[in-house]
Amino acid sequence: MKRRQINLRHILMPFVVFVFALFVLMLAVYVYNSMPIFHREGLDIYLKNMWKAAEEPSKEHYGVLVAIWGSIYTSVIAILITLPLSLAYSVFVIDYAPKRVKEWLIILSDVMAGLPTIIYGIWGVFVLVPLLKKIVMQPLHNYLSFLPMCSYPPITGFSYLSAGVLLGIMVAPFASAIIREAYQMIPFTYREAIYSLGATRLEATKILLGYIKPAIYSGIILAFGRAIGETTAVSLVIGNTFNLSLALFAPGYTISSLIANQFGNAFIYEYMTSALFAAGLVLFAIGLVVNLAGIYLLRRWEANVRL
Amino acid sequence: MIELALETRDLKVYYGNNMVIKGVNLKVPKNVVFALMGPSGCGKSTMLRAFNRLLELNSEARVEGEVRILGRNIYAPNVDPIEVRREVGMVFQYPNPFPHLTIYDNVAIGLKLNGLVRSKEELDKRVEWALKKAALWDEVKDRLDDYPSNLSGGQRQRLVIARALAMKPKILLMDEPTANIDPVGTKKIEELLFELKKKYTIILVTHSPAQAARVSDYVAFLYLGELIELGPTRKVFENPEHELTEQYVTGVLG
Ligand SMILES: Nc1ncnc2c1ncn2[C@@H]1O[C@H](COP(=O)(O)OP(=O)(O)O)[C@@H](O)[C@H]1O
Ligand SMILES: [Mg+2]
Repeated sequence: MKRRQINLRHILMPFVVFVFALFVLMLAVYVYNSMPIFHREGLDIYLKNMWKAAEEPSKEHYGVLVAIWGSIYTSVIAILITLPLSLAYSVFVIDYAPKRVKEWLIILSDVMAGLPTIIYGIWGVFVLVPLLKKIVMQPLHNYLSFLPMCSYPPITGFSYLSAGVLLGIMVAPFASAIIREAYQMIPFTYREAIYSLGATRLEATKILLGYIKPAIYSGIILAFGRAIGETTAVSLVIGNTFNLSLALFAPGYTISSLIANQFGNAFIYEYMTSALFAAGLVLFAIGLVVNLAGIYLLRRWEANVRL
Repeated sequence: MIELALETRDLKVYYGNNMVIKGVNLKVPKNVVFALMGPSGCGKSTMLRAFNRLLELNSEARVEGEVRILGRNIYAPNVDPIEVRREVGMVFQYPNPFPHLTIYDNVAIGLKLNGLVRSKEELDKRVEWALKKAALWDEVKDRLDDYPSNLSGGQRQRLVIARALAMKPKILLMDEPTANIDPVGTKKIEELLFELKKKYTIILVTHSPAQAARVSDYVAFLYLGELIELGPTRKVFENPEHELTEQYVTGVLG
């Protein structure tokens, strides 16, 4: 008897369709629920910094610019922190750490990647924020307060900077996992080649990191995605204030911390829930843009460089 | 007395506890092609990497004895391996130009790292000079800013030769440079060797006795980490002293 041929594709297809449909439906829910606030505020929902909740719907006004700004600002700070951290960690683990230490360091960074974010949040509140306030914000404010970035007096320490640094630490294990993997996979012959040309270890490392640029881009994109979506820890250290500012030491909001903070009582008001959905929609858009930018970068790389 | 480019004295190399070069003494005169031949696994690549201290990339590897380059023992305590590598160029078994650097930068990189040129013009000139020496200039002069991905295997290998030559090394080490290259590319590189030995000393590793016979002036036969025979190429091929050598060059062995 002939065994019936099962086409694997037919089995896999429904799962793919399911995932895709889920995404489309989720996006649709966000768009649908954002409609009331779009009708009321138009683009101002994204272009203004305003949060007027009122029992009388006609007095309600919302604009989530501060949260968009805060999400991007803190995530960029996070990337600036994460990049050197994860590069240094990867290079150290692969090139310098003795074999046994190396395994432990890899486990350590995997554990850090998996820690619940509330753990980072609490640590941020009790350790990181006071520390940053004392050794970074206060000195910088004292000496450089003429710079807009340092102009805000660090009273509480809860700020864009605190959120950015905490995020940078939180997402570093993710960036580092990708970068480390790629760095380890560099064919030995390129290491030999660069050292045979009389390179120092530092010079060799620089050239070899150039070789894994695509992985570094990917690591950054992944880290950025995680940073911009992170909620719990950020809500604890950002200060949750409608304060649109370049000042690093000023409190602010991010999209996810805004949603987390306001969602609980949003049902009381006519338009607030809708405003929060509209804010959430921005995260979809940013996610899309960042990933497209990543694909563009990788394409451009692949067009030139064939490894 | 002939001036020596390289000399080893009781050279031993270990990987962990495993001795793979077992006390080799050899002398390489200047301005010759010196072939190091032997069956696969006999220790040719290992020995070559002892000549520029590249073995130090492998924490398992340990070297004993001396390697003298132009009279100086490069394993003496006060010698900086980076300085050694600057003077001893290397070409590898698998053509390995850096894929993420342009053709130009691949040649320029050693010069830049070591600060061997003072100006952009000088760098341009030296890159052109090296590419000409490697007989690649005519093929790439219009696309110096391209990446090497479109070059053929033979062209890539000549690019690597140019990369090494650009630093004007005293000795050029080549580890089976034609092993992964088509016959046309191989012929070009072999022709190049005749040109290059006027100015450089070339130590060429090969597992092919035929290639050693074609291109070298002197030949050493290495077997299981020991130097079996060494001498002028014609003499070794026509009148080998050692039975193993005879078996190897006639193709009976490995
Ligand atoms: N990185 C290494 N670690 C341990 N042993 C090695 C290493 N590289 C080579 N060997 C061993 O050393 C011997 C010589 O190898 P190699 O120098 O590569 O020979 P050849 O180049 O003549 O083929 C072989 O037995 C090989 O297994
Ligand atoms: Mg070999």
